[in-house]
This record gives sequence, C-alpha cells and structure tokens, in this order.
Amino acid sequence: MARYTGLLLLIFFLINGSGARAQCCTSGNPFISDAEQPALPSRVLTTSLAYRYSHSGSYYLKDGPFRELPFREAAYSNYTELQIGYGVTNWLTVLTDLGYFFNKTLKNPGIDSYSGHGLGDAALYLKFNAYSNSRLRLSISPTIGVKFPVGVFDQEVDNVQLPISVQPSSGGYGYIATIFVSKGIGKIALAGFSSYEYSQLIESDNFYYKYGDQWIGALYFNYQVWKRVGIDLQLRYENRAKSTRENNEIIDASGYHVIFFTPQLTYAFKHNWYISAYADVPIYKYYNSIQMSFGYAVSLRLTKKIDFIALRAGRNSMKKIN
Amino acid sequence: MKSRYIVFAFVTFSLWACSKKSDPTLSESIKIVSLSASINPVKAYEITEISVEATGENLQYGWVANHGRILGNGKVVQYNACTSCAGHNTITCRVFNETGEVSDTIMIRVYPYPSENK
Repeated sequence: MARYTGLLLLIFFLINGSGARAQCCTSGNPFISDAEQPALPSRVLTTSLAYRYSHSGSYYLKDGPFRELPFREAAYSNYTELQIGYGVTNWLTVLTDLGYFFNKTLKNPGIDSYSGHGLGDAALYLKFNAYSNSRLRLSISPTIGVKFPVGVFDQEVDNVQLPISVQPSSGGYGYIATIFVSKGIGKIALAGFSSYEYSQLIESDNFYYKYGDQWIGALYFNYQVWKRVGIDLQLRYENRAKSTRENNEIIDASGYHVIFFTPQLTYAFKHNWYISAYADVPIYKYYNSIQMSFGYAVSLRLTKKIDFIALRAGRNSMKKIN
Repeated sequence: MKSRYIVFAFVTFSLWACSKKSDPTLSESIKIVSLSASINPVKAYEITEISVEATGENLQYGWVANHGRILGNGKVVQYNACTSCAGHNTITCRVFNETGEVSDTIMIRVYPYPSENK
C-alpha cells in the first residue's frame, strides 16, 4: 500500500488543485525539448541545469507570414531550469524542476520594451517504469505530473503591470501526462514520446483566462557516434487548442500547430558528467488567425548522474582491498 | 519514509503557489473624477490614450489591463492589444498615496484586425 501513497497523493492534489485560485496568468516555462529519458534505475540521481535562449519575431496568419502590420516586434527570453530526478525504486522515478527567467522581453521599436524576470513555474513528476526488457532493449515509461505557479506573475514596472506574455510564471496549475517508448537497435535507438497538458482556469481579481490543452508528439532517432558522443534527431509536433476568456468566450486568435526539428549533440565526460547542445527549428507553422510565431531556440544542458548503489559497491570493494 | 518526502514537496509547492496578496487600504481622501479613453472601440494593434483625473495629495497611478498592454505610466497612458486580445477588455486604474488607494475601471472594446478574415 505504501508504494501507492505517492500516486494517491498526486491524484488528490490534481483534484484539490483544480479549485485553487491562481495569482494570474501567462504561458510560463518553455518546453525543454531535449531527448526524453526513460525512468531511472533505483537509487540513481540526476541533476541538470539547462539554459535556453529563444527568439520570436514574425507574425503568422494561418500557415504563412503576415506582413501587413505597421510595426515589427521581437520577443526573446533567456531562461534556465534546474531539474532533479531520483529513482526511488526500479519502477518509480520522481522528477522535479524549477525555472527562472533572466529576462522575458517584448521589444517594439518606437515604444518602450517590456521585460519581466524572475522565477517561473515548478513541476513535480512521477515517472513509472511500466515495462523494461534489457534483452530487447525496450522500455515504456508513462509519467504524470503537476506544474505549480510558484513564480512571479503580477510583475509591475513603475506601477504598471507587465503584459501576460512577459510574466515569468504561468499563473495557473498545469496537469501533465506523458508516455515514452524507447527501443534500442545496435548503435541506434528509436523512441516515441507523447504528452498531454491540461491548463487550469486562471481566475484572479484582474484576470480570467484558460489556455487550451496542449498535445505533443515526438519521434527520436539516437545514434552513438563514438563512445562519448551521441546525436539525437527529433521531429516534434506541438498542438495547442484555443484559449478561452471571460464568459467562456473562445479566443479565435489562439492555438497553433507547429512541427519542430530538434538536433541534439551530447558529450559524456568522465565521472558521469554530460553536456548537451540542441536547437528548436520550426519547419511548419500554422496559427489560428494572426499571432506572433515561434522563431528558434538554442539550449545547453549540463547533467550529473550519481549511482548510489555503484558508489556503495565501490566503497565496499575499497574496504576489502584495504 | 520516501513517500513523506513526496508529501512534503507537494504541500510546500502548493502553499507557496496559493499565497495571496493582502487587500489594500481604501483611501477616503482620494477621489477619481474621470477615467476616459481617446478611442473606444479600438482596432487590434491601434493605440488609444487613457487618462485619469483624480483629486488628492501626492498621487501616484497604477495600471492593469486584463488583456493587452499598457504603454507608459502616470496619469496618462497608452493602451493597445493584439488580435488575440480582441474583445471587451478591462483596464483598471489605481490611484494611491500614503493614505491608501482607490481604483476605477474602464472597458475598452478591441475588434480584430481587418485582414484577419482573409
């Protein structure tokens, strides 16, 4: 029974959290798009720090650029995220992350820029090792999680509240379910990832808004070029449904379909240190009505992995030698 | 034992996320005389000027838009909204000094950009 306590608690918070009042609203942390990993083995800890720069500048109407607007805008952000994962047992991994925006800026020539900064959202995930066969090199890892709007949402400059688009936090809870399937074949690995996110209604004194549900589907191709160097090629489809505002009015100019290509290079150092560099390049964009579209993003992630069982075994063997 | 850590993490995150600001003190010495917009309704991306007239000493002004953006600060600001903010939007003006604050709202209708239905 004890092993199900975590799961029961998460379900409790999913239900309980849906009635909570949020501070306000924004799109929150960006999706960190590097290759998804299966559940961790028992007593393995991973800690990683990611940095991401993203830039958007062009408006889209449906699937083409829209150039009729009498101005040009640019939106960019510098973001970092700390993620910690721990294999509680061989079947359960707990992951948590916390985002921080150094800046989240909207620049419009001739008009003041808007720039927010501060803590974004935090998240807690439970990843399960539903199926793992080392002989077949096949693993299936479903995940459930909650995003918490712990960061800055109602940020003001000179007593004027910044627009939602540059507020660091999403202002509302998000509930996530994902599944990751990985299959190794020789020096390559193929993987599939699917994710669903439900955003809670954001209801505050000044704001009433609900982001549309988000679906993500990704296919990964991993190739181990050398012993320490790996390449991941990812094709990812992201779909966001339309948002709703006061009186449950559906916002026509919201929601999108975007297909990204994300190449990734990973280098494994000694002592289980890893560094990954990757980029998000949209290859197809469709936006409902007129919206600013995603431009590109480049990211870097440094990861340290600690296997406590291996560490203990190492210490014990050292004691025997001594 | 491990489950306790999960419970602790959930409770900590939830309490932090649910924290609310305290309500401001209402001032009886400040009165908002008018709050108006130069253009209303306004087209998406078009700028309208919003101004407030208030009586009181050492007044400061704060602005919040539930959709769209406030440009500038003080007793006269500009407002515009992108097409995803089309609709009836509420702009709240807060006038305050050391005695407390009062606030008023103005509704601005933002209609979609004309080329949107191409």
